[in-house]
Amino acid sequence: MGQELPTPHLASYRDPSGFIFTYKGEVYRQVNKVYQEDFDHFISSGLYEELVSSGLFINHQQLPENLTGSDNWHTTLKPEQLDFISYPYEWCFAQLKEAALVTLELAHKGLGHNMILKDATPFNIQLHKGRLVFIDSLSFERYKETKPWVAYRQFCETFLAPLALMHYHQQPLQPMLVSYPEGVPLTIASRLLPWRSRLNLHTYLHIHLQSKVAAKHGSKPEPKGAFSRQKLQNLLRSLQTLVESFHFEYKGTWADYYTEAEQRSGYVPAKKELVNEWVHKLTDVTTAVDLGANDGSFSEILSNRNIRVISVDGDHFAISKLYQSVRNQHNSIHPVILDLSNPSPSLGVNNEERLSFIQRTKVDVVLALAFIHHLAIGKNIPFERIAELCKQLGRILIIEFVPITDEKAQLMLSRKELSFDWYTEKNFRKAFTKHFTIREEKGIGDSSRKLYLMEVK
Amino acid sequence: MQHFLIYIDPGSGSYLIQTIIAAVLGVAFFFKNIVLYVKSIFSRFTRRK
Repeated sequence: MGQELPTPHLASYRDPSGFIFTYKGEVYRQVNKVYQEDFDHFISSGLYEELVSSGLFINHQQLPENLTGSDNWHTTLKPEQLDFISYPYEWCFAQLKEAALVTLELAHKGLGHNMILKDATPFNIQLHKGRLVFIDSLSFERYKETKPWVAYRQFCETFLAPLALMHYHQQPLQPMLVSYPEGVPLTIASRLLPWRSRLNLHTYLHIHLQSKVAAKHGSKPEPKGAFSRQKLQNLLRSLQTLVESFHFEYKGTWADYYTEAEQRSGYVPAKKELVNEWVHKLTDVTTAVDLGANDGSFSEILSNRNIRVISVDGDHFAISKLYQSVRNQHNSIHPVILDLSNPSPSLGVNNEERLSFIQRTKVDVVLALAFIHHLAIGKNIPFERIAELCKQLGRILIIEFVPITDEKAQLMLSRKELSFDWYTEKNFRKAFTKHFTIREEKGIGDSSRKLYLMEVK
Repeated sequence: MQHFLIYIDPGSGSYLIQTIIAAVLGVAFFFKNIVLYVKSIFSRFTRRK
């Protein structure tokens, strides 16, 4: 019998303190000898305990077992396992802002135990059971009074710059983080921000002035003078004041979709009843993805049945609203902003560091309600390609077919000059039955729309 | 050994800028704290009234 070997995570190569690996389907973290003293201080100082009990930090179990067989081994950690990992370019403004505040709170609490965060990136924070938790157990090092914050530039580029750009322009700019996963360079952020942003002392100091000083400083040696604890605390306080002042009031297209949809005689309640009935009959179902989730009312039906749901929508406002509602609810809904005609790609070294959305999403149920016409008519995507997308995500598919005569489909068609004579239920069935077997089909209330329950062949 | 662990590049001029910013913030927070103190005395006074 072949023995399964621990596989190092491909994004976990930067920090010599340790690395993540998977073993028998679970995620572990090795702490290397070089980080031993910092890690032991992190535990013995009580900082770890304090952070876990305040819900800011991922819980781990320490195992005295060298699973990787490495010479550099100090200890092994088995963190609480996460259901799903999402990336900052899939988060709404509120989530990025909160992640920034969590990072600053951690830095502040660390100082109380003579430790400092040595990196500050949103990739270290994940939504877990309705809370934002810090997941990198090797991010603290012992604080040396006299030293400035090593992760300061990183914090400014990964958190401050995108937040400031969204705040000052009131536009959903999180997709730019696909191009800049390691943060928006301050020279670019400074140029893109409006002139009035210089009138805010904190924005001026942390973005504009920093960008100017960095450009002029070049490769000259850093100053040797002491940087007191008070100075560091002032710096953190200033960053916190600035992040707290950022707001984003963007209203999307779909904000009032359900209010409007509810008015279509009993359509939404009939659809909810049908989805509920079908989901109830399913067995061995623990995970789902809701494509075009909007305000998440259908995700909720699944979540109420203890199914963990990834709720996807391309609309920043819809996901922002959903994020606010699942926060602190101990909810199993994970909101994600995503354009399904262009899902997040794989990024980083060898395109293996950050996985694509499709690589990360392998679930039991795919919910695709009022969704197909957006891709087929809105984006000219053939049924075959949509069926392939659904098949890659999960084994059971609940999909709504919206006929071409539907009011919403007609509205989309009115903006197009192309012929959509291929958009028929017959072609839809033909494309989907290549990959799926139809288990059930039923009309939704009095509407001309139809719901299908399918299973991968 | 400590240098080995600094695996992220703090960025060119990052320590210099933090020194400059900390100096500016020191002055700003000093005055802000005075304003807050005066406000707190004032609000205590008006509450008593």
